[in-house]
Amino acid sequence: MPTGPTPPAPPLLISDLAKSVPGGRLLFSDLALQLAPGEIVAVMGESGVGKSTLLNLVAGLDRPDAGRIEIDGVDLAALDDDARTGLRRDRIGFVFQAFHILPHLTLAQNVALPLILARRRETEALIEANAMLDRVGLTGRGADFPAQVSGGEMQRIALARALVHRPALVLADEPTGNLDPQTADVILSLLCERLRASRAAAVIVTHSERAAAAADRVLILTSRGLVAHEH
Amino acid sequence: MIPRRAFAALLAAGLTLPAAPGHAQESPGGVSFAPVRPGRRLSFPTDHGAHPDFRTEWWYVTGWLQADGQPIGFQITFFRIRTAADPRNPSAFSPRQVIFAHAAISDPRVGRLLHAQRIARAGFGLAEAKVGDMDLVLDDWRLRRTANGVLRAQAGGEEFALNLTLEPTQPVLLQGQQGFSRKGPGADQASYYYSLPHLKVSGALVREGRRRPVTGEAWLDQEWSSTLLDARAVGWDWAGINLDDGAALTAFQVRDGQGQAVWAGGSLRAADGGLTTFGPGDVRFATRRQWRSPRTAALYPIARDIQVRTPQGARIWRLEPLFDDQELDSRPVGPVYWEGAVRTEGGRGYLELTGYDAPLAL
Amino acid sequence: MVIGEWRAQPGRTLAAVLAIAVGVGLGLAIHLVNRSALDEFAGAVRSVSGAADLQVQAASSAGFDEGLYPILARLEGVAVASPVVELRALTDDGVALTLLGLDPLRAASVTPNLLGRPAAGDGGGTAAEAVFDLDAVTLSPAALQQTGLRVGDPIRLSAAGQSATLRVAGVLEGISGDRALGVIDIAAAQWRFGQLGRLQRLDLRLTAGADRGAVERAVQSKLPAEAALVTPQSEMRRTESLSRAYRVNLQMLALVALLTGGFLVYSAQTLSVTRRRPQFALLRVLGLPARGMLSQVLIEGVVLGVAGAALGVALGVGLAELALRLLGGDLGGGYFRGGRPPLAFTPVAMAVIFSLGVAISVLGSLFPALQAERIPAAVALKTGSGETPDAAGQPPPWISLTLLAAGGLAALAPPLGGVPLFGYGAIALILAGGVGAMPWLARGLLSPLRRLNAPPPLALAIARLWGAPRQAAVALCGIVASTSLMVAMAVMVTSFRGSVEDWLIQILPADIYMRLEPGLALDPAAQARLAAAPEAAAVEFRQSFSLRLHPDRPPVQVSARGGPGTSAGEGLPLVGAQATGEGLPVWISEPMARLYDLRPGDSLDLPIASEMQEGLFVAGVWRDYSNQFGALVMDQSAYTTLTGDPGRAEAAIVLRPGLEPASAIAALRARLPDSLAPGADFAEPREIRAVALRIFDRSFAVTYALEAIAILVGLAGVATTFSAQTLARRKEFGMLRHVGVRRGQIMQMLAAEGALLGAIGALAGLTLGGVMSQVLIHVVNPQSFNWTMETRLPWPLLASLAAALVATSAGAAVLAGRGALADSAVRAVREDW
Repeated sequence: MPTGPTPPAPPLLISDLAKSVPGGRLLFSDLALQLAPGEIVAVMGESGVGKSTLLNLVAGLDRPDAGRIEIDGVDLAALDDDARTGLRRDRIGFVFQAFHILPHLTLAQNVALPLILARRRETEALIEANAMLDRVGLTGRGADFPAQVSGGEMQRIALARALVHRPALVLADEPTGNLDPQTADVILSLLCERLRASRAAAVIVTHSERAAAAADRVLILTSRGLVAHEH
Repeated sequence: MIPRRAFAALLAAGLTLPAAPGHAQESPGGVSFAPVRPGRRLSFPTDHGAHPDFRTEWWYVTGWLQADGQPIGFQITFFRIRTAADPRNPSAFSPRQVIFAHAAISDPRVGRLLHAQRIARAGFGLAEAKVGDMDLVLDDWRLRRTANGVLRAQAGGEEFALNLTLEPTQPVLLQGQQGFSRKGPGADQASYYYSLPHLKVSGALVREGRRRPVTGEAWLDQEWSSTLLDARAVGWDWAGINLDDGAALTAFQVRDGQGQAVWAGGSLRAADGGLTTFGPGDVRFATRRQWRSPRTAALYPIARDIQVRTPQGARIWRLEPLFDDQELDSRPVGPVYWEGAVRTEGGRGYLELTGYDAPLAL
Repeated sequence: MVIGEWRAQPGRTLAAVLAIAVGVGLGLAIHLVNRSALDEFAGAVRSVSGAADLQVQAASSAGFDEGLYPILARLEGVAVASPVVELRALTDDGVALTLLGLDPLRAASVTPNLLGRPAAGDGGGTAAEAVFDLDAVTLSPAALQQTGLRVGDPIRLSAAGQSATLRVAGVLEGISGDRALGVIDIAAAQWRFGQLGRLQRLDLRLTAGADRGAVERAVQSKLPAEAALVTPQSEMRRTESLSRAYRVNLQMLALVALLTGGFLVYSAQTLSVTRRRPQFALLRVLGLPARGMLSQVLIEGVVLGVAGAALGVALGVGLAELALRLLGGDLGGGYFRGGRPPLAFTPVAMAVIFSLGVAISVLGSLFPALQAERIPAAVALKTGSGETPDAAGQPPPWISLTLLAAGGLAALAPPLGGVPLFGYGAIALILAGGVGAMPWLARGLLSPLRRLNAPPPLALAIARLWGAPRQAAVALCGIVASTSLMVAMAVMVTSFRGSVEDWLIQILPADIYMRLEPGLALDPAAQARLAAAPEAAAVEFRQSFSLRLHPDRPPVQVSARGGPGTSAGEGLPLVGAQATGEGLPVWISEPMARLYDLRPGDSLDLPIASEMQEGLFVAGVWRDYSNQFGALVMDQSAYTTLTGDPGRAEAAIVLRPGLEPASAIAALRARLPDSLAPGADFAEPREIRAVALRIFDRSFAVTYALEAIAILVGLAGVATTFSAQTLARRKEFGMLRHVGVRRGQIMQMLAAEGALLGAIGALAGLTLGGVMSQVLIHVVNPQSFNWTMETRLPWPLLASLAAALVATSAGAAVLAGRGALADSAVRAVREDW
């Protein structure tokens, strides 16, 4: 882990990245991306172009054919599966299209999950989780179960869970894909607000122009890599 | 008449005498049977009773009845058999004596015999052959002589029941030599034998739940012996005829495998009491008509001519059956033989034909 | 669609079908075996009693006076009376057979099948000769086979203390099966075996069209105290009562297996409905009415049930055939001697058990079907989640409490027709209530664990189980049902065995027991000689015989015990208080007290020695497991006074200290009269105890086997349910992997979940089983068998059962987890990526 006086490493640094689908078709090559702390990047592109694969590679859940991915200055290629899992747990937050909230846990427990996995004391973790729920607008709902909340509220919980452990990087995959446009707007602005508040960088994969508009940068994924979106 | 009837009865019940031929007088179990000797004087009523020291004994009633104006033949027979059971056995069940009884009726409208039988070891008052006077009990069957000399007979089964009074009209007829009757060429092949012909019958016949008064005329044979038939014998023929004039004809023959008579005998007692006793050369059975049984395929000479030689000359009686099928088929437990009512000009009686289906095993 | 669903879930579908099949199969097998055995037994009874319309039997083996024979033979309505001497006989080689002394001429028209046909052409003998041959014995095929004799061989038979050498004259072809029977002439039987003037039986044939009731009354009015009228019907009843309780026990166990199957169908269908929530929702949206969902799931239940029940019928017939071959007609219960009866097919019973299997399957599908009907289409479609929120649609806890309370009440009810139906009902209610209470139990047990600061995998496992107790209950219901029933049976059997063991020690305090062959007895001189043996510190002579007190009940065992100065009551394992009274005291066994409704202090009349002995009274009640139909003990002096019989056939001998039993037995045997020595059987209590317990274990072997099958079915249910639930949680695992949970941690979590579930199941099973065992011990057993016992817990068995359950559950969860994690986390969450 880099420490000391050296300037902080970028939360995400990708260079010369190439990946083919298992069948052999090349998805992309020579892909490069660098995020500054707190920077929000939206990635758009046609279906099947490899947006999700890119996120998986960044999360260390998939291996690139070539190239290098560094998170907070740590080269993923140098880590084994457990170490990558640890890195995800400590430095990355996830937001999924289908929320993935565990139905048998309370909202607070769901949010506290990353803290608990990091072996924080449960009472402490729950206090932090409740505080996080406050910040996403679910004050006092920590003891409720997921069955009692709406879709929009689900994604608020997911946001809270993604940020509760102060990750350097948040990866969001179609975070508004399951929401109606109004709720989507609210969630999107909440996401950006919270990301900025916690100074976490983020990669948001989306089809939504409105979502993209909320980002600092919008990139289009093509087989030649990421290109800047032209408004 | 004849020990062969006893065999028929025993075989019918699934029994034979325990001793093998050749040991006629004494069985291996230490039982000795009383011998039949000539010269013994029969005395009555004692000799109407049972003679338990002898091996076999029977009371054989045959006759013709009139029921609703129709002729019906009947027979009721009680057998007493002394077995070779160990005389030391104190059990009340010890089968020292076995009582067997058989009854049949010949109704031309039925066209075949209806028959019933009973058997039990003597004892417990349920099956007894009394000594001293005729009194035979076998469950609900009975044949006894009452104080005034009248016989009462009671027998029957599922198909019929007979309840008869038999009143003697003539004195006792002693067969053979004063009741000593030879049955074969061997000196010991003999029995004590008397008959009561011309018994006046009254009583009732129950058929299909209906009780009908009957009258008629019957014949009683009582015979006891300890001996067996001759080794060559395969069967026998017997006839007892009440003649309308009051005379009584008895005729029998023991046949060998070729159908030839091994022995024969009989008697003719005239209405006035004059008695002619026949020896082996005096009696001949001739056959006029045979009948083949559809059940057993046995061929029976059911229409016979009985020819006898009397001091007055030869006489012939043409016997004609009441109807053909009077075969008694008691298989599988017993033998098959023909026992039927027959008539002749001036008389009626019974004819018995055994050993025609298969030789009687000894 | 249904097929597709089943094809997707072959394991679970198969487990449900198999569970039903096992339940149906076991139920049918037990029924068929019992039916076959009963038919065979009834056949044996019929063949020994022949086709008699009525039978008069002696109250004891001493028989009745033969004077009864002509009296009954002459009764109006009696066509034929066939007198019978019936003895238990032994050959020199120790082959036991029933020896009948018959009058063949009478038997021919009452019981013709008891008359033999000699082998044709053998030594020139004919049937007729055998009939009156007093040295001839005709043997049943089984007796011929057991003695290894052939027609014409001599045979030495001992019965009632006397021996005779006879000759095998023929075969009783009318006697089928394994019935060892010999027939001799009645006169020979009376003479050779000391039965002069006595009969044990009279077989009666009624005249056609006789008024049966009138004849029975007429016969009844002529009977002395030492004889009783038995009709074929009452004989059948007695036969049935002999094994009914045991049969009902087994039958109920089979139904338990079926019930477990029902719970497994419930599990499988619940999971399947859950899995298909989106599919059902789609159908609802496309226009299928809610009722359609209900009927679809119910139809699936019918199909599962029919498949399982059909398989079960085949299985049952096969099992029955196998069991008959291996264990005999009583499934090891020891009620029927010998006998490998042919299988009896009972289509009605088959149809009933088949329908029961289908019904249970449909019932198991009912809750899931109602659940399917209530699926809110919009929500289900939108979330697309397989997991259902747990709290909703839960039956309130008071239902379980009501069921448990009803179970408690049912346990207090009396038996119905000698069968403890309410007792079994209580067990069923307690089981249903207990399984219904599982979600609350799981929560209650897990609550304290939640406060632990456990490592993440365990914490997650606890959180999941606490948060989804219903899923836990779905997984556990089958195993809780089978475990609790097994625990109940195990506790009952252990208690029973322990009590029997104690009882054996208590009832057999002497060092050596001597018993003479049936019919033999020691006269006073021989007794004195034996008592004076230097090896013996004390000798107590005994005599026993059986006595029929009620025509429809098996006879009670009467024995004379105690010494000159000691009362027979001393040394008996008495239960409750003793009473004093006027007259001769007798001590009766628990079964007798219950069967004849007698209490200490009650007076009692016994038909002993040709007459009704009045003025006896019950001095006490003792525990007895050896005779289910009652036993009675009286003082030596009382026995001698009543019967005038000074002979004794048994002795309990206390040795002088320090003597070796084996050498003492040899010395004691030498002191017996020469005629009796070979017929004396000496045993040490150790041996007797071993034999008794071996018989005991044998009769419960099938019970154990059934329990094991029920447990296996339950465990299979747990395994399949777990794997189904685990596979359904792939997305959860995918998310957890994203969020930073290691693969190993997920496995740990699953193992912890499995172990916790297993532990909960074990705890619930043990608790429920414990309660149910008390119903078995205090309600079912006394009501079925008329004996009581003290509770003992088979701790090693219970502990290993619990351990096995925890291990199996954890193992099943981990195995299922492997499958679920074989997919990459990426693919698991991809569906909506």
